[in-house]
Amino acid sequence: MPEALKLIRSILVSLRLTVLLLAMSIILVFWATLDQVHLGVWGVQQKFFHAFVVTVRVGELQVPAYPGGYTIGLLLLANLLCAHIYRLKLTWRKLGIWLTHAGLILLLVGELVSGLVQRDYMMRLEEGETKNYAESNRQYELAVIDTTDPKFDQVVAIPTSLLARGQVVQDPKLPFRVVPKGYFPNTDVQMRSSVPNAPPSPANAGMGPMLAITPLEVNYAEDAHNLPAAYVELVGPEGSLGTYALVDATRLPNPQKFDFAGRSFKLLLRPARRYQPFSLTLEKFSHDIYPGTDIPKNFSSKVLLNPPDGGASREILIFMNNPLRYAGLTYYQASYDGEHTTILQVVRNPSWLVPYLSCGAITLGLVIQFLIHLAGFARRRRAA
Amino acid sequence: MSPRNPLLALAAFSLLLAGCGDEKVTSYRVPKEKDPEMPGMPAAGAPDAAAPEAAAPAGAPPAGPSMADTAVPTAEGAALTWPSPAGWVPKAATAMRKGTFAVPGDAGDCDLSITAFPGDVGGELANVNRWRSQIGMTPLRPDQLDAGVTPLQANGLTFTLAELLPSGDAKVKSIIGAMVPFGGGTWFFKLTGPKASVQANRDAFLAFLRGVKAP
Repeated sequence: MPEALKLIRSILVSLRLTVLLLAMSIILVFWATLDQVHLGVWGVQQKFFHAFVVTVRVGELQVPAYPGGYTIGLLLLANLLCAHIYRLKLTWRKLGIWLTHAGLILLLVGELVSGLVQRDYMMRLEEGETKNYAESNRQYELAVIDTTDPKFDQVVAIPTSLLARGQVVQDPKLPFRVVPKGYFPNTDVQMRSSVPNAPPSPANAGMGPMLAITPLEVNYAEDAHNLPAAYVELVGPEGSLGTYALVDATRLPNPQKFDFAGRSFKLLLRPARRYQPFSLTLEKFSHDIYPGTDIPKNFSSKVLLNPPDGGASREILIFMNNPLRYAGLTYYQASYDGEHTTILQVVRNPSWLVPYLSCGAITLGLVIQFLIHLAGFARRRRAA
Repeated sequence: MSPRNPLLALAAFSLLLAGCGDEKVTSYRVPKEKDPEMPGMPAAGAPDAAAPEAAAPAGAPPAGPSMADTAVPTAEGAALTWPSPAGWVPKAATAMRKGTFAVPGDAGDCDLSITAFPGDVGGELANVNRWRSQIGMTPLRPDQLDAGVTPLQANGLTFTLAELLPSGDAKVKSIIGAMVPFGGGTWFFKLTGPKASVQANRDAFLAFLRGVKAP
């Protein structure tokens, strides 16, 4: 083995690295806790823990400053795996340690997987309403909807991350290209007539020329809603069809419409949707309070789950700590709006069982190791 | 197993995971969805590369008060008042609506929306055509407008009334809408619902309009 690899191996198996990484984790958690004042919980998670590198702003530049949660977690994982391969022997006497470490490895991998693949959505349902999609809390999409068919809408959903990167989208379902001309994750939008000094708008079609869009700093506070806006140019085979200004659907709920190539289209910047092959109907939302007070006692949503196979619908009661788990999604009772509208949090986390399994493995491993030691101690005591 | 393999596998695994994300363009077909109500925002015209200015929507509010952080200004200032007819269920006003009633009908309930926007919101023709497009009727030409609307005088206000009842059965979606300029803006009263219910409530709606007053 070359010297360099030997060096890497000896670093990776060393207990010093474990201690160093644990110390670095403590610093990361401490720094993140202090920064939570500015960024809020979600912002801190993204910046410090769901990141390979923590960057800080120096002037106009973002400079890497510290290893992020993923890097430290991956190094810890590598350290643990290497220690197993090179140091620990697979013997019955070490079974407890093996199980405990396996649990730890599972926990680290599970956290990494859930950090990368977990998605949170919201489903807002009024009584009597049926929906087969949930909406993202933070991510938006540009929906280009072909409304020509009298019965169906053909939707092409473009994540705003593509707009932010300026990536040109040419979808086979669209007779034109979508060319991003600017994306702003948080904006103030006013009618141009009320902002006489606004710079000229890049938009020349739809509502765009009437709007003055001012980019704002992204607000990371937990309850803050960042309202995005974008400029996109549509380019057909014969040239530009115009540049549209798109504002999130909470401020401009009516889509901008146009006809092209004998087809009708509408454009909408809306929270990213995740459709599922089944639907939920809210039958009744109950909001109980303690008598004589405004203190909530219980929220519950009686929903009808309409399965994808057209089978019989079944009634389910979702309330605090009693979510609906179906088709890899978990529906929690999260909030409400008025007396007849429920807001369910919808979580897709394929690795939700991993923490339970890993904690079980760690507990079992510690118990086994304790019993092995206890038995040895008892034997030695008897022998003495 | 070669000692390097676990590390390579780990690196590959982390790269694989890092590649996970929802960054793909997706396309799918869904049943038609209703657009939200918003009388101030008529559909934009077809974009025209040669004359981009022509693509501005007919309903561009020419001027309006500051709209804080909403792109859809409602008319500010003095508000019209209206009666609350017995049997109609008033609902809470929203950011978009000055008032809402659920109007019962045998063929299904109607929705009465009251909204106000600065300026003339594109003029009578654009607004009538916007309502017509909402229920699948062909737009009127400018020379057909006078025949398509009727004026209604009440309490010093002059409403322009459009009765849009498409041919079809009792369930076909219909609109009786009225618009009135007031206080530098335009106020819209729109009764939407199944044709039979809209027709049955026509007289009550006209009586309601006659009860609308300026302060």
